[in-house]
Amino acid sequence: MGLGAIGAALGEGYTAGLANEGLALRPKKSGDILKNMLVGQAVAESAAIFALVIAVLLLFLGTETPYLLKASAVLAAGLSMGFGAFGSGVGAGFPAGQASLGISRQPAMSGSLSTNMLIGSAVCQTPAILAMVVALLLIFSDFSSMPLFPTWAALLGAGLSTGLAAIGSGVGGGLAAGASCEGIARQPLSLGNVTTTMLVGQAVSQTPAIFGLLISFILLFSGFPESTALSAAMAPLGAGLCMGFGGIGPGIGNGLTAEEAVRWVARNLENTGGLTRTMLVGQAVAQSTAIYAMVVSLVLIFVI
Amino acid sequence: MEDLGVIHQLIVPLFGYEMTFNLEVIAWTWIVIIGLLIFGYLAKRNRSIVPGNLQNLGELFINQFYELTEDALDRRLARKYAPLICALFMFLLFCNFLGVFPHLGEPTSDLNTTLSMGIMGFVIAHYVGIREKGIKAYIKGYFEPIFFMMPLNVIGELSKVISISFRLFGNIMGGDIIVLVVSYLTFSLILPPFLIGFFFIFIGAIQAFVFTMLTLVYIAVQVK
Repeated sequence: MGLGAIGAALGEGYTAGLANEGLALRPKKSGDILKNMLVGQAVAESAAIFALVIAVLLLFLGTETPYLLKASAVLAAGLSMGFGAFGSGVGAGFPAGQASLGISRQPAMSGSLSTNMLIGSAVCQTPAILAMVVALLLIFSDFSSMPLFPTWAALLGAGLSTGLAAIGSGVGGGLAAGASCEGIARQPLSLGNVTTTMLVGQAVSQTPAIFGLLISFILLFSGFPESTALSAAMAPLGAGLCMGFGGIGPGIGNGLTAEEAVRWVARNLENTGGLTRTMLVGQAVAQSTAIYAMVVSLVLIFVI
Repeated sequence: MEDLGVIHQLIVPLFGYEMTFNLEVIAWTWIVIIGLLIFGYLAKRNRSIVPGNLQNLGELFINQFYELTEDALDRRLARKYAPLICALFMFLLFCNFLGVFPHLGEPTSDLNTTLSMGIMGFVIAHYVGIREKGIKAYIKGYFEPIFFMMPLNVIGELSKVISISFRLFGNIMGGDIIVLVVSYLTFSLILPPFLIGFFFIFIGAIQAFVFTMLTLVYIAVQVK
C-alpha cells in the first residue's frame, strides 16, 4: 500500500506540474485543463486504490487463520500489490501530464486527447491488475495442505516476481502513452496511427510483467515436495527475485523504445509501418534480458 | 467467495489419457459464435447502397481492419489476411463483452481460449513467413545477426505466444476477480456496475484490439 501510494503520488505530482505549465501557456482554457488533470489523476490513483483494496482485505481477512504459511502468503500479497501499483501509478502520470499540456497547446483536440489519455493510462494499469490478481490469489487460495518449508519461499517469490516485474512495465507503458498524447497535440492528424503504435508498443513493454505473472503462477500452483534443506526454499524465492528484477529493466527499456517510436510516428506519418517494425525488432532484442531471467527462473524452479 | 476458481469440468477418459472439457467455457464460446453468425446474417441480409444500422456496423469493422492490415502488410496480402484479422477482432470483442450479461462469463477468462488463439496466430504468422520468403530465407532469419543467437531467437518466438495469450487472459480474468471481490466487499452496492463498465467493456475492447494488432504485427514481421 505504502509503495503503491508513493507511485501514485509521483505520477500525480508530474501531472499537476505539467498542468500548471499548460495553464501558464494558455490561461483561458484553465477549466478544460483542470478537468483533464483531475480525470488523469483519478486514473493514476486507481493503482493506489487497488493497493488500498488489498490492504483493507489484508486487515480484515488475514487474521482468521494465523499460521505461518498464511503469514507468508499475506506478506507476499502486500509486496506484489505494492510494487505493482508503484510502476502503474508513475506510468499513468505521464499520459495525464502530457495530455494536460497538450490541451493547452491544441485546445481544439481536447476531446481526443482525453480519450487517448484514458486508453493509454488504462493500458498502463495492466501490470497493476496482474499484480492484483496474484495478490488476491495469494490471499484467498488455501495453502494449508501444502508443506510449510519450501512453500513459504515459493509464495514470497510469487509475490515478488509479479510485483517487481510490474514496476518496469508500468513505467514503460506510461512513457509510450505520454509520448502519444504529446504527439497528438503536435500533429492532430496522426491520431489513429499514434494510438495504434502506442498500443502495440505498450503491449510489448508489458511482456516482462506477463513473464512475471507466469513465474508467479508456476510458483503458486506447482506444489513443491516437502524439504527443509535451505536450497529447496531459496530456489523458488530466487526464481521470483530473478524474474522480478530481470523484468524491471526490459519493461522500462521497451517503454523508451515505444516512446520514441510513437513520438516519431507523430512527426513522420508516412513511415508508420517502418517505425513500428523497427520498434518491434528493437524491443525484441531488449526483451531478451527478460527472457534470460525467465529461463533462469524456470531452471531454478524445475531443476534444483 | 467460494466460487472463485471453481470450474465445471467434464473429464472423458480416452485411450488411457484423460480429456478435460471446461463445459461453461465451451457453452459461452458457442454463444459467441452463434451471436456472430446471426450478426453476419442480419448485416448482410438487406444490402443496399445506403446501409442500414447493422450493415453500417459491419462495414465499420471491415473497413477499419482492412485499412490496418493494408498498412501493416501490402495490398496483395491484405486482401488475403484482412478477413482473418477482422474475424479475430470481432470474436474476441464479443467474447470480452459476454461477461456483462448475468450468469455468463468471458471465454477469454480461460487460458485455453487465449492460448489456442495465440498458437493459431503463431502458426499462421510462420506459415505466411515460409510462404512469402521461402523456407531458406525463413530458416536463415533465425541465424541473424550471428549464428549462435539461434536458440535465443527460437525462445523469443515462443515467448511471443506466451506473452500474447497471458496478456489477454490476465486482463480479463483480473477484471473478473476484481469485480467479484469488490462486489463481495460492498455487498454489490453502487460500485460494481461502474467496475463492470470499466473492466469488461473498456478494457475488454482495448485488449481485443491489442491482441488483434499484435497478431497482425507478428505476421508483418515474418513477411518482411
